Amino acid sequence: MEEITKNNYKKSFLKEGFKGGISKHHKKYLGTNVPEGYFVKSKISILEKTNKEIKIESSKGTKKQLVFWIQPHFKYIAAASLVFILSLTVWLQNKNLDVLKENDIELFSFSDDVLINSLWIDDADLESFAEVIIINEILIKATIFEQKIDDLFLNSLFVEDSLIDNYTNDGFIETFIL
Amino acid sequence: MSIDAELVKKLKDSSLKDTAFSELLDVYQERLYWHIRKIVTTHENADDVLQNTFIRIYKSIHSFQEKSSLHTWMYRIAYNESIRFIDKNNKKNFDHIEEVSDSNLEVLFEDDYFDGDEIQKKLTKIISLFTEKQKRVFQMKYFDNLSFRKISEILEISESTLKSSYYTAVKIIEEKIFL
Repeated sequence: MEEITKNNYKKSFLKEGFKGGISKHHKKYLGTNVPEGYFVKSKISILEKTNKEIKIESSKGTKKQLVFWIQPHFKYIAAASLVFILSLTVWLQNKNLDVLKENDIELFSFSDDVLINSLWIDDADLESFAEVIIINEILIKATIFEQKIDDLFLNSLFVEDSLIDNYTNDGFIETFIL
Repeated sequence: MSIDAELVKKLKDSSLKDTAFSELLDVYQERLYWHIRKIVTTHENADDVLQNTFIRIYKSIHSFQEKSSLHTWMYRIAYNESIRFIDKNNKKNFDHIEEVSDSNLEVLFEDDYFDGDEIQKKLTKIISLFTEKQKRVFQMKYFDNLSFRKISEILEISESTLKSSYYTAVKIIEEKIFL
């Protein structure tokens, strides 16, 4: 009897196909099952998780805040202008520094030369040089200047009174009538 | 228009996506669960992988190019998620594939949601002895009721190879189950 049942089972086994729900099929052949109401609970859980995912994605989207906005076709012009201004500033600063450095070096080397050379000049020579400079540059120039002032004063005395009268009359007419 | 095509259309429409996704779960949740369960063995693992699978489906539906059917595409995602899960766990616990197979049987028989009798345990043991390819083909064909064409698309193996693997597997089971 047991042998007959075994043979019948053997014949039907793997030939029954997919009958009754997929879960029943698995239970029947593999002995595997699921907790009561599992698929309903699982569906809710999956839907909750997908909603969370949406929220996370949307929050990621809002985190990208706009600092400032500019018309797309102005972007490159603005960027190029900024780069140009910056490079010009840097270049001009470096250029001025170079010029100053060169001048400074020349000035320092010249003053050093003068100081060193002055040590080798004899005191008598230096005194005679100073006397000549003082006579030529200061005394003569002062005398000439004094003479020029005297001339100006004398010239002003010889200006005719008639000329001054004419000037003052014209000035008065222009000021009060015109 | 088929149900799948209609579902895809709705899923790609942002205003209908949530409703369509709920419908998708109604249609495919149970089928995908059992497909996953046979690969990852326990209910707890299957539950984790199922959730990951549907989240992946939800996220990547816009990139589904409809070169294959929705059904096949979802099974492939479920299959890949399951394999990823196994790889991750096996790297942690095992060095050899034989150890994994033996351990899987122990884990399955100790699972709260397994109450198989002797013949069911025997069938499970026989299936566990198959090569990985034979196992997947047999399970997909016999338990998931998928056509050879669909299995071929999911596993990316030719139909003739699949058929050969399946019939060999059936023969082995028929020979060994009542020994």
